[in-house]
Amino acid sequence: MVDFIKTVKDFFAFKEPKEIEQFVLKEDENEKPKPEEKSDKKQKPKQKESFISKLTSNNHQKEKEKEDKAEDEKSVGISKDINENLEHIKKVYNIPDNGDLVIREFEIVAKDKSLNAFIILFDGMSDSTIINSSILQPLMLLSNVEVKGKENDLALYIRNHLIPHNQVKMVEKISDIIDEVNFGGSGLFIDGIDKAYACDTKGWLQRSVDRPNTEIVIRGPQEAFTEGMRVNTSLIRKTLKDKNLIVENFKIGKRSQTPCSLLYLKDIANESLVDEARRRLENINVDFIFDSGELEQFLEDSTFLPAPQILATERPDRTSNLITQGKLAVLMHGSPFALIMPITNSDLLHSPEDAYVRFPFSNLFRVVRIIAVLLSLLLPGFYIAITNYHHEMIPTDLLIAIEAAREAVPFPSVMEILMMEFAFELIREAGVRIPGPIGPTLGIIGALILGQAAVAANIVSPILIIVVAVTGIGSFAVPNFALAFSFRILRFVYIILAALAGFLGITLGIFVHGIMLVSAKSFGVPFMAPFGPRTSDGIADQFLRSPIWNQEKRPDYLNVKNQKKQPEISRKWTQKEKKK
Amino acid sequence: MIIKLKLLLAIIIPCIILSVLSGCFDAREIDDLAYPMAIGLDKGDDNLLKITLQLAVPVAIAGGGGEEAPGGGGGTSTIVTIEAPAIYSGINMANTFISKQINLSHAKVIVFSEELAKEGIGKYISAIARGREFRPSMFVMVAKGSAEEYIRAVEPALEANPAKYYEMKLRAFDYTGFTTDATFTRFYHNIKSTAAQSYAILASVSKFDSSKDIDNDESTYLEKGRDIPFEGDFKAGSMPKVGDIKSEVMGLAVFDGDKMVGELDGGKTTSHLMVMGGFNYAFITIPDPIKEGFYVLINTSQRRNPEVEVSMVNNSPHISVKVLLEGDILSIQSGINYEDVDKLKVLEDGAEEFFKEEISHYLTKIIEEYGVDICGFGNNMKRNFLTWREWENFNWLNKFKNSTFDVEVDLKIRRPGLMMRTMPVPDSKGDED
Repeated sequence: MVDFIKTVKDFFAFKEPKEIEQFVLKEDENEKPKPEEKSDKKQKPKQKESFISKLTSNNHQKEKEKEDKAEDEKSVGISKDINENLEHIKKVYNIPDNGDLVIREFEIVAKDKSLNAFIILFDGMSDSTIINSSILQPLMLLSNVEVKGKENDLALYIRNHLIPHNQVKMVEKISDIIDEVNFGGSGLFIDGIDKAYACDTKGWLQRSVDRPNTEIVIRGPQEAFTEGMRVNTSLIRKTLKDKNLIVENFKIGKRSQTPCSLLYLKDIANESLVDEARRRLENINVDFIFDSGELEQFLEDSTFLPAPQILATERPDRTSNLITQGKLAVLMHGSPFALIMPITNSDLLHSPEDAYVRFPFSNLFRVVRIIAVLLSLLLPGFYIAITNYHHEMIPTDLLIAIEAAREAVPFPSVMEILMMEFAFELIREAGVRIPGPIGPTLGIIGALILGQAAVAANIVSPILIIVVAVTGIGSFAVPNFALAFSFRILRFVYIILAALAGFLGITLGIFVHGIMLVSAKSFGVPFMAPFGPRTSDGIADQFLRSPIWNQEKRPDYLNVKNQKKQPEISRKWTQKEKKK
Repeated sequence: MIIKLKLLLAIIIPCIILSVLSGCFDAREIDDLAYPMAIGLDKGDDNLLKITLQLAVPVAIAGGGGEEAPGGGGGTSTIVTIEAPAIYSGINMANTFISKQINLSHAKVIVFSEELAKEGIGKYISAIARGREFRPSMFVMVAKGSAEEYIRAVEPALEANPAKYYEMKLRAFDYTGFTTDATFTRFYHNIKSTAAQSYAILASVSKFDSSKDIDNDESTYLEKGRDIPFEGDFKAGSMPKVGDIKSEVMGLAVFDGDKMVGELDGGKTTSHLMVMGGFNYAFITIPDPIKEGFYVLINTSQRRNPEVEVSMVNNSPHISVKVLLEGDILSIQSGINYEDVDKLKVLEDGAEEFFKEEISHYLTKIIEEYGVDICGFGNNMKRNFLTWREWENFNWLNKFKNSTFDVEVDLKIRRPGLMMRTMPVPDSKGDED
């Protein structure tokens, strides 16, 4: 009882909110006096350290010990004795049990000495032709040919003369070899050398570059990312031919060691933003990670905000475009989606096509999209509110039509709309899961049940079908799938609020929703910028789109190093005419 | 954790409070309500009021259920009449036998009987202004005879929906000029105003049953000094017409305070609209300035807002009105070539003279006969006063009847229609001329 009273007291009594350390993207260093900048930089690593040390100290001591042991095992050096190495490899990979590891033992001749050697690789992961022609063949056949090598060190000699493969690393730890082998490479051990060769011989089968599936445009490139990360980085490099494009490598997942890349333009992206992204990427502690969807959940600021705070796109052109704005992209092996951060609400409402089509068209797109968002979010709630509370708002003819249509319907309109929305969600969910060949059946069932039979059986009124259909179409017109998803959830909230209190309820909903959105941050950038905190060029460039020659600045809220995108006059030919 | 709990509570508590304390209590499904389209108020025989409600029947209007053929007229609305001491008590009584709850938010017209209007309708008007269900944009009408009879006579012939019928018919002044937008807001505002008086639309049931009975006894053409009645020389009820549509609206009921004091015919209503600046366009008959007994028809419209000036001359108000009109020729009966530049001026002068006379008739009527400022000239007078008290003490509504006025009309003929020139009709007799 006392506890309860205390909670109630706590709830109503004012308490200063606890300060939560959060990353905030501060003003550009150039805009601030220099001494301050220095102190800023000094502070940051401290924060980092404390954050990390807190994390580790929280862990149980035992786990730490275990980790240490694992570390020891990993850092086992390569022995000079090849048998020892072989034993170790066999132990690591549980050889009699593990079927697809290939260990090929052979002999090579180097510096007039015959040496035992073996190569390990996973069957199917590596390209056999490369291994045969670039590693095994030269080692076994060409080693007999006299090579004028000056190196005394055998290991160096072999690397420099006997392995003509293009990506060979000399490593000293067995763990490096294991990492490479796990990722489709091969490991070469040679007797008498305390080093081994990790060769990149990835050759698994993967999907080729295909058309985008979720972000379709009519005008613009028709390429999408695939599951291979290097293919994806190459797709970006292909579109963004800039020497300042940095592709930083990370490995995420303690056991999966999934490769990830952080992409940004060095002379544009804000440094503290890059630091923060690096810090978050480096501090993800998880065993396995498979898709960028998981990574997104590990990286995002708020889990409970309905709107996504990281943009997932499968289009290299869009990724490149956003990188040039000063944003960061994260690519992950095994995922055909790039993660873009930080983003704002308006990024989610833009389509890559906006930039490719002419000025009047893209503005039409944008206006249509805003209307689509409003429809998909508010229309059912609005319908409930006016039919339950605000009858005077409906034109009389429509009122009479609605009344006549509803005459035989036994349910209150809230139940009606909830039923139909649920049925619609059901069809949507089933439509995604349904196996291809029986897909059309679903369409027929859905159309018949929802469109016709429900009306004929007086379960719902025909006007409501229109409301639900328009809502559905509206939600498909939202360019970002994740954002559309958030509207799908919130739509139900608005329906309930409207049923409870009409426009008052909807107003309350918009109020709370607005507060949530305005207070949200994506990597330190206010989510509703440039409207939430007002920055320049909000309406002209984010809500609508200004002509391409007028887009001179990068978004202000990103605090990039180089604000200017193009000079005041980017169409110089207009100028020439005058000078003549 | 505590923060999260608080956040959760902060979301849940308002929801609970909303739903428990207020939620849904006034939610009404559309199909649980009955919507009267017209409300008629008569003086009761035994009680204070006789209330007539015309309720829309949505199923019949939408043609759903296949019960009755659409356009059946009578089926689309049902009319009930109750005697009660006041509007709300009548609605309360009606709710007992009408299956659905009555909601007045879609009432399009409120009709007072002439008898009631002459007694004063202030008490009913204030009750309506207080009720939040009433639509401020509904029209106020005065029915000659009884309001109940008028509402029962309303049988929409062209549309199934009585609400649409009222909306269309009462907005028709945009192209007839025979009624005005006497909405409830305007009516109420003018009743309370110290600078203007109210007016309502005049309505009635047609008094002729067959075309043989038609006479012009009640027409106002004689007092205007005409040989034949023009289209505007009638009031509702006396229009020379017969047909399935029995109900009529034409002219205005003029109020002094909350009491009806007189009527204006259709032509004077047109003049009223012209002086107020609310005239849109209408086909107007004008006597031919050259050939007597022939008429020119002009599609007249208001070119610009009228210029109204009110001042004090010799201790009585003087109103000067300048009405700016323009017109397209619709028909020249006499065959005189008015399209010609020289003759155009003759026609324009003739038309100006005609309208000047019309407006003078109207102003004479409201100033000298009724003495009520339904045009709101007082609003132009107000600007001559420095303080509100001075204005109140001036007592405009009382002084108005001593007003003098002068009228100026400026009319320009813009287009001759599809004919560029009027040529005489050739026939076998007229060849030699």
